[in-house]
Amino acid sequence: MKKANFVVSGIFAAFALAIIIIAKGYPPSNHGVPGPGMFPIIIAVLILVSALVLFIKTLKMPVTSDTKIDLKSRSILNVYISMGGLILYTALLPTIGFVTSTSVMLSLYIKWFSHRPWWKTILIAVLFTLGIYLLFGTVLNVPMRFGIIF
Amino acid sequence: MLVEVLSSVFNLQIVFFIIVGVFTGICIGALPGLTATMGVALVLPLTFGMDAIPGILLLIGVYVGAIYGGSISAILLRTPGTPAAAATILDGYEFSKRGESGRALGISTVSSFVGGVVSVIALWLISPQLAKLALRFSAPEFFLLAIFGLSIIASISGNSLSKGVLCGALGITLSFIGIDSITGYPRFVFNNINLLSGMSFIPVMIGLFAMSQAFTTIETIFTPDQVTQKISKVWPSKSDWKVIMRQGPISGVIGTIIGIIPGAGAEIGAFVSYGQAKKTSRHPELFGTGIPEGIAAPEAGNNGVTGGALIPMLTMGVPGDAVAAILIGALTVQGLQPGPLLFTEHTTLVYSIFLGMFIANVTMLVLGLSSLKLFVKVLSVPKGILTPMIFILCVVGSYAINTNFFDVGVMLFFGIVGYFMQKADVSVSPAVLGLILGPMAESNFRRALLMSEGSYSIFFSSPIAWIFLLLTIVTLVGPTIGEMARKKRQS
Repeated sequence: MKKANFVVSGIFAAFALAIIIIAKGYPPSNHGVPGPGMFPIIIAVLILVSALVLFIKTLKMPVTSDTKIDLKSRSILNVYISMGGLILYTALLPTIGFVTSTSVMLSLYIKWFSHRPWWKTILIAVLFTLGIYLLFGTVLNVPMRFGIIF
Repeated sequence: MLVEVLSSVFNLQIVFFIIVGVFTGICIGALPGLTATMGVALVLPLTFGMDAIPGILLLIGVYVGAIYGGSISAILLRTPGTPAAAATILDGYEFSKRGESGRALGISTVSSFVGGVVSVIALWLISPQLAKLALRFSAPEFFLLAIFGLSIIASISGNSLSKGVLCGALGITLSFIGIDSITGYPRFVFNNINLLSGMSFIPVMIGLFAMSQAFTTIETIFTPDQVTQKISKVWPSKSDWKVIMRQGPISGVIGTIIGIIPGAGAEIGAFVSYGQAKKTSRHPELFGTGIPEGIAAPEAGNNGVTGGALIPMLTMGVPGDAVAAILIGALTVQGLQPGPLLFTEHTTLVYSIFLGMFIANVTMLVLGLSSLKLFVKVLSVPKGILTPMIFILCVVGSYAINTNFFDVGVMLFFGIVGYFMQKADVSVSPAVLGLILGPMAESNFRRALLMSEGSYSIFFSSPIAWIFLLLTIVTLVGPTIGEMARKKRQS
């Protein structure tokens, strides 16, 4: 947890500094009424102070109360692979189309997670995809026809 | 008005949506890994094409059902279906070990109903009065109210105050994106046209609550949950009824009060109710061994939060918990602004919500007592199939808001961020509440200074403002002073 706290405070401190640098370029206050940059700067300072407090508290944290965060085990790797798959899916979705890309993506995930026979996996994936397509596309009138295939 | 409310709620379509909502909520709540917030976030996109009353009542049905449904897996599997049911495990699972899971589930069902009804009564009695008071608020009071809300969120969220503040501030920062409402100046848009109209907070919520939770589920995706208990004798015995009727209303009131506090959710309501029941019991040593009070208190407490959380949300636009924050999103999509004006301009809607919430609790009781065996079967739905389906619902839900793929990217980004925040023990709720309270704080702060021509004395000009100021100071300084006093006593 110590390492994670240092990383969290570092990321937030960098984030706050970026906000301050950007917000400083915004129009100034006018007749005492704050400009668009004032509130972001106040919040960024609050982030900086909190990040510093977290950093100092973590430094003082006794080694005995430190806990390890699992970021490398097999189960966590599965999460990273899923994230990667979803990023790829959302990137390809507008180009390929909803029904095709979703059916393929769903089939692969279900096969991986539940080890069912391929025909059952594909049947579940296609039926669920079509159900969502009809619910959103027909009942809720969300435009679901996009992409070059379907 | 009464006739209008009755006719708007007691029609087949609305009652159908409430039943569907409660049923879906119980199923979602029963499944470990799917929280009430996640359930409401996933169902939210379905309400975009609906009218305000059925849409909101569908979501409230999911909320009420999910908070109760969490107790099913808590009692049977020793795994809380939702965090709100964590306290129920302590005594609930002991019943199952003795082969009395049916009895435990019956106590849980009736207690949840009692707690829920108490909170609806409180919602009905308190909200209109609070809305009347809030009508007297102007910009400085709303600014200080938002600051007070943010201070509470920071102090009660997670284990660390600084992490709570960081997360809340992150939410506020996200609210800066887009065209500034007062000067029209574009902020943090980086020449991206999608950011000009601001960050749509529904994809952020779906990402933080639903997608990140689905990622967490993947960690245990290959570990099966087995239910071996047979459910029988669900209807509580005479002695159990006595316990429920004695403990339920008290815990319901505690839950309601906790629900009113911005940021304090059903989990806290359940634990505080459990603690109170144990403290006031003649046999505190029996808690944890499987006694009816140990289920009645947390279950009435967590369902008590449901109505309480809606009180500040409806009257002042300040969410009582993360679900109330999503309900603000649902109302906004319908073109409605939560706050005191809702009670004067949309009276029928407000009272329909009250009545609909009562019906949702009755539905929960009926479904709970009659169909428990069915809900227990839901526990057998394989995570390996359910989790990829949740992925798709998150993607389609985020896309459906503005039919924009940029929102899907936002959802996925915050899903990943939310997952790592959970890993670093940073609660994600303050971010969403900050996203809602941030603009309220900023716009009212600047409006107040416009009114006073730049004089900060306007923030100290009314008794209400002073009350909020003092409450904020107490909230921020109180825990630190308490901690120092505790350390002094120990040394």
